[in-house]
Amino acid sequence: MKQASLSIEGLRSVVEALPPDNLTPAREAALAHLGEHGIPTLRDEDWKYTDLSPVVDISNRWLTAGGGRQSPDTLLARIDEITGSIDANWLVVANGVVLDPTFPADGGNGVQVAKFSDAPAPLVFERPLADFNAALLQDGLRVRISGTVGKPVGILLIDQSDGDASVSQAWAEIDVDANSAVELIEYHVSQGNADHYANSVLTLNVGANADVRHVRIQNRSTRHVQTGRTSVSLGRDSRLDMASYDLGGGLIRNDIDVDLSQPGADITFNGLYLAGEGQHIDNHTRVDHRVGPATSAQEYRGILNGNCRCVWNGKAIVHEGADGTDARQANHNLLLSEKAEIDAKPELEIYADDVKCAHGTTVGQLDERSLFYLRTRGLDKRHARQVLTHAFAADLVSRAPVDAARSTVSAIVDARLADLIEAEFAEELVS
Amino acid sequence: MLEINNLKSRIGDSEILRGVSLSVKTGEVHAIMGPNGSGKSTLAQVVAGHEDYEVSGGSVTYDGKDLLELEPEERAREGIFLGFQYPVEIPGVNNAYLLKAAVNAKRKHQGLGEVDAFEFLKLAREKMAMLGMDPKFLNRGVNEGFSGGEKKRNEILQMAMLEPRLAILDETDSGLDIDALKAVAEGVNTLRSPDRAIVLVTHYQRLLDYIQPDFVHVLSEGRIVRSGDKSLALELEEKGYDWLREAATA
Repeated sequence: MKQASLSIEGLRSVVEALPPDNLTPAREAALAHLGEHGIPTLRDEDWKYTDLSPVVDISNRWLTAGGGRQSPDTLLARIDEITGSIDANWLVVANGVVLDPTFPADGGNGVQVAKFSDAPAPLVFERPLADFNAALLQDGLRVRISGTVGKPVGILLIDQSDGDASVSQAWAEIDVDANSAVELIEYHVSQGNADHYANSVLTLNVGANADVRHVRIQNRSTRHVQTGRTSVSLGRDSRLDMASYDLGGGLIRNDIDVDLSQPGADITFNGLYLAGEGQHIDNHTRVDHRVGPATSAQEYRGILNGNCRCVWNGKAIVHEGADGTDARQANHNLLLSEKAEIDAKPELEIYADDVKCAHGTTVGQLDERSLFYLRTRGLDKRHARQVLTHAFAADLVSRAPVDAARSTVSAIVDARLADLIEAEFAEELVS
Repeated sequence: MLEINNLKSRIGDSEILRGVSLSVKTGEVHAIMGPNGSGKSTLAQVVAGHEDYEVSGGSVTYDGKDLLELEPEERAREGIFLGFQYPVEIPGVNNAYLLKAAVNAKRKHQGLGEVDAFEFLKLAREKMAMLGMDPKFLNRGVNEGFSGGEKKRNEILQMAMLEPRLAILDETDSGLDIDALKAVAEGVNTLRSPDRAIVLVTHYQRLLDYIQPDFVHVLSEGRIVRSGDKSLALELEEKGYDWLREAATA
């Protein structure tokens, strides 16, 4: 199967038509990089489970139509609704346009916000799809955290796609100063009846002895495609507690790269993915333990129903000399349908001596003994399945590291699970 | 109330119940005893509606209704309770949630509204005190990390909250120390009533020192081979089960 190619010529003409600004050199360099490396295909080891044909197809249609951008105006009501539901200082990127912050971000509250268009800085784009993002980038967010910030900082990435296929880019760089503490919320949503491809890059640098909590919610339309790359580096004795909830989206690919180059760093990153009919959710994580002692722990859980596919690929590399590394990874999946498919792959590469590494993956169905037990207590089959499925997800929801985001996550998970279980019963009635 | 007539049941190719007949009336306490593998637990599971056991013959009626036609949850809502020999651990499902969901499922079936949250908690705490359970067990996962004795107390707690008309307690005494056994027996005795029947499935006579049965039946190789009053249990304790097996085959 050969994947169609991205039209580099079409992209070039769209990029060249953009008004010149301080990102022009970065766009040109990224375009050259993309021209050389292209979009990953199924032949690339890291991409063999995820066919990016929809990315190429949507992008080519959008480029052919001139690569325009919808105004974010149609999204304002939805933005208000979302930012009003979670108590945080919100930054918004709508249809790829960076909106002005609505809170005083002048440094007085420990949060400094700058747009790339105001303050240029070099972008690290030499990674799959990050080059495609940078080639079209017109603006981005640079956030700097100093001291202990009381209110969570939220970044909402929202897109509307109507009429024709569209593509949007979002890029945010967050630097947390040494000894600082902050809670971050990253929220991806989209709406509209046309195909859309959203490409995001987030860079998070955690300073020495800083403490960061991060919740990422992805609740895009099941029509839409998203690829996201999150690059994290941790300073000496710093701590990052992160949880990622993939609750929507059609084709989703998340890459998380964690760089542990300073001793005493400690990262926990967990994930929950719920996939129903037609969805494809791929989580690739990579942790580079370059020095020790340092700790990384990840637990991803998935609930799959209907004809869908999920991927979890967790790579941990313990480099030479990184003694005192403690790396743990776990992936557990609940398959509610015979048509659901999971590819679960832990990968450990260890080049140091004194390390603790553990990994475990499970794939299973609901426990029949538990179902019978609940039914003998009067719960009907549907309720019993709901209770057990919910219990599987609830544990990860309760561990959401940002209090302000937990009830939103919980509400979306509940609604989504109710849908998934309805779908399961519909299937049972048909068969 | 419960009429079992020539019941036969198999799992896969092996026939476990080979024609069991038993009549249980409201207000009675029956003990079903027998050696391991005699079919005691199977009988309990079939009455509760476990789908792995195929009923290959006979009938079971409950209040004149064909029980075998009902789903396990319908049987529960009609007032049948099975206390499990091995209660399942369900992490992530809060014990209080299950109790409340169970009580509400039954109430809904009876055409009643949902239980008042305050009253529910008050009642649960009272029953727990009677069973010597710490109220913190309400907020734990169902049976999650419970000791053997705690699990059995939790079964009796569920029974006390659900107030069944027919309770079948499968090896409720197994794995209990004497204090737990007394607490569980006391819980069961408080629930003895003219409106309720209790069937105790047990291997040992010990439980019957604390809960006095009206009838004792001995199950062997899938059939009831002897029925009597509580003195039969004492006789079994003295002579063992081999005596009955020999009598049955003679």
